[in-house]
Amino acid sequence: MNPSSRAVVVTLAVVVFALCSLAPVAYLLAVALADLDPAGLWLDARQRQLLWNTGLLGVGTATLATVIGAPLGVALAHVTLPLRSFLRLALAMPLLLPPYVVALVWTYLCGGRGVIASLAGRDVLSGWTYSLPAAILVLSLVYYPLSMLVTEVALRRIDGRLEEAAVVSAPPLLVLRRITLPLAAPGVLAAALVIFVLSVSEFGVPGLLRVRVYTTEVFTAFAALYDSSRAMLLAVPLLLVCLIVAFVAVALAGERLVSTRRGHGTRPVLLEGWRVPAAVAAILAVGLSLGVPLTVLVREALSVGSLSAVVEGSGRAISNSLVLAAIGATAVVAVALWLGYARARSSGCLGRLADVLFVVAFAVPSTIVGVGLIGIWNRPGLVGTVYGTDVMLILGYLARFVPVAALAIAAVTRYVPVSQEEAAAVGGAGWLRTMTRIVVPQIRLGLLTAWIIAFVLAFGELGVSILVAPPGEATLPIRIYTIIANTPPSHVAVLALLQTAVVLSPLAVLALALPLRASAGARRVSTAAGAREAR
Amino acid sequence: MRSSAVAVRNVTKRFASHQALDSVTLDVTASESVVIFGPSGCGKTTLLRLLGGLDVPDDGEIWLGGVQVAGPGRSLLPPYRRRIGFVFQDLALWPHLTVSGNLEFVVDTLKVPRSERHRRIDDALRLVRIDGFAARYPHELSGGEQQRLALARALVGSPRLLLLDEPLSSLDAELRAAMRTELARLQKALALTTIYVTHDREDAAVLADRVIEMRAGRVVTATGTARTEGRA
Repeated sequence: MNPSSRAVVVTLAVVVFALCSLAPVAYLLAVALADLDPAGLWLDARQRQLLWNTGLLGVGTATLATVIGAPLGVALAHVTLPLRSFLRLALAMPLLLPPYVVALVWTYLCGGRGVIASLAGRDVLSGWTYSLPAAILVLSLVYYPLSMLVTEVALRRIDGRLEEAAVVSAPPLLVLRRITLPLAAPGVLAAALVIFVLSVSEFGVPGLLRVRVYTTEVFTAFAALYDSSRAMLLAVPLLLVCLIVAFVAVALAGERLVSTRRGHGTRPVLLEGWRVPAAVAAILAVGLSLGVPLTVLVREALSVGSLSAVVEGSGRAISNSLVLAAIGATAVVAVALWLGYARARSSGCLGRLADVLFVVAFAVPSTIVGVGLIGIWNRPGLVGTVYGTDVMLILGYLARFVPVAALAIAAVTRYVPVSQEEAAAVGGAGWLRTMTRIVVPQIRLGLLTAWIIAFVLAFGELGVSILVAPPGEATLPIRIYTIIANTPPSHVAVLALLQTAVVLSPLAVLALALPLRASAGARRVSTAAGAREAR
Repeated sequence: MRSSAVAVRNVTKRFASHQALDSVTLDVTASESVVIFGPSGCGKTTLLRLLGGLDVPDDGEIWLGGVQVAGPGRSLLPPYRRRIGFVFQDLALWPHLTVSGNLEFVVDTLKVPRSERHRRIDDALRLVRIDGFAARYPHELSGGEQQRLALARALVGSPRLLLLDEPLSSLDAELRAAMRTELARLQKALALTTIYVTHDREDAAVLADRVIEMRAGRVVTATGTARTEGRA
């Protein structure tokens, strides 16, 4: 390999990213804008109602998820919680639950013949079961970990000496309010905006809870009414909202998107007296967002006649999901590695542009990606040979998950100093050899994490899959979504439980391994801190 | 102990296997300026952090103004009630607050009327000669001006003890000499009890009434300086 091998490999990755993630959006915008009737787009009462519902869903979810998540993030950063690492993992787990599974649980819990109705002896909540507030609550329980984790990271990034300088003059709560939280605010706000985008992009939850928003209308127009031009027209306002909000989120987050440095100095414990309330709140959050859904699913699943019959009946969908998610995750990491590396080594305008593209591409609603992919690939000739095959699903996974994997890999790649690559180059190694022998071995844990995240996301993917899956082929999410209406709840619950078990198992293994690692790590950290402190 | 502004009694501090302070005893009288001098890792910053309440001694006692503020393994008085001013090595100026905002945070915790708070902020800025920069943010100040702001913030709460942790270490030689003179002027004007940590002999010579030398967590010598003799 000559020195330009880096340019060739990175360019190839950029081309794949552009083809999979950006081209569907560009295609959709081009087609929609060519036939655009501005009056029809904005003055239609139906459109205004859709915009209102979608906005309410986004704002409501972003607000509620932040109200739940941000205080938990503060607690994780500033309260000495018992089993903190374990609690953090448990609190983060709901983020991996497919949102439509949580919506399904909600219907089992609050429906006219649901758990609450049977416990209360009368129907008390069924009026709320299929409603916008229910969708907001369900999505908030899924997305609050995002706010929590970002808040904790933002707080840990603050230089501990800024807080120490404050605690010599003011009580801890005042320090938290006037120094700590304002410094963390941009990160918390950026997380809220990302939650807004994820909520308005979500298809499964509003679809299941019968809330009319843009994503469900796009799906209905395309898949039920076969009106692709209307689907594209409906996609434009949603796409614009997502792009604008994603852009603002990137501007707020800045280099924090790909930087994982921690603040210097010793961090004063600001909320020592809050141990008990914080622990109770954390346990309550885990119970509500994880314990209740799992318990309800298990309860429903236990009433099934033959477990093996249900699993066998969906055997093909299950194996399809596992194989396609594994292939998809591998493809995603194979592309994201080079994009993430290029981002980690870029700075200034180019780096910021990459961040904007990654976040914007991730923010594009799944049904819009699906419609865009169909528009590009559903045509006669060589291109059309791909359409109608499982490759479309892999393209969908690439379109949706390469951006987030690239950002994660960029963050870990920054831990490898450029000087190490320079030293290898001086020693005569080419770029590819330097990558495989110096860089990749040091970020292999990050790559494995990116693969697991991509696998989990692909395994639960619904919005794109339901549109681009070949006729007769189904993944587990498609199978669950399509049998809800005409299959006993216990059968659906078994499949949803299986889905949940697969996405949670990697984190559960990690959670069990943590206490061992934490105690070993604590010993190393305390020794290092001691040496550092004693100046 | 009651007559000392600062009394440290057999204080020990250990970080894992590292003995940071080993039975340190020290007295500082009111208005005295003590410089703690020694190489990196000798425990001088640890001692300052214990006095400020940012760490807790493993053993021994710490008294400020005749009140015990820390005992073995526990703090008896939180940092913000000790009435100290602390200038950190990297200054630790709050980047999201203006110059006056940095001072306002400190005076807002004092139980004084609003007009008095404004007067104190103005006085502190005038004292360190940055009264024209009240509306600026820390990153809009030069290195010397940031140093003065850190000093103003430490002084605005009228502390009874000023702790300075190598505040001049990041400055170039010329600015360092100027700031050293400025600090000496302020000490003289305010007659404040001061403990200053450094590894620079010149700082010690200019600023100290008494130099305490530390090595490996222990006080090895305590000597008066020409300044003290001049004063006597």
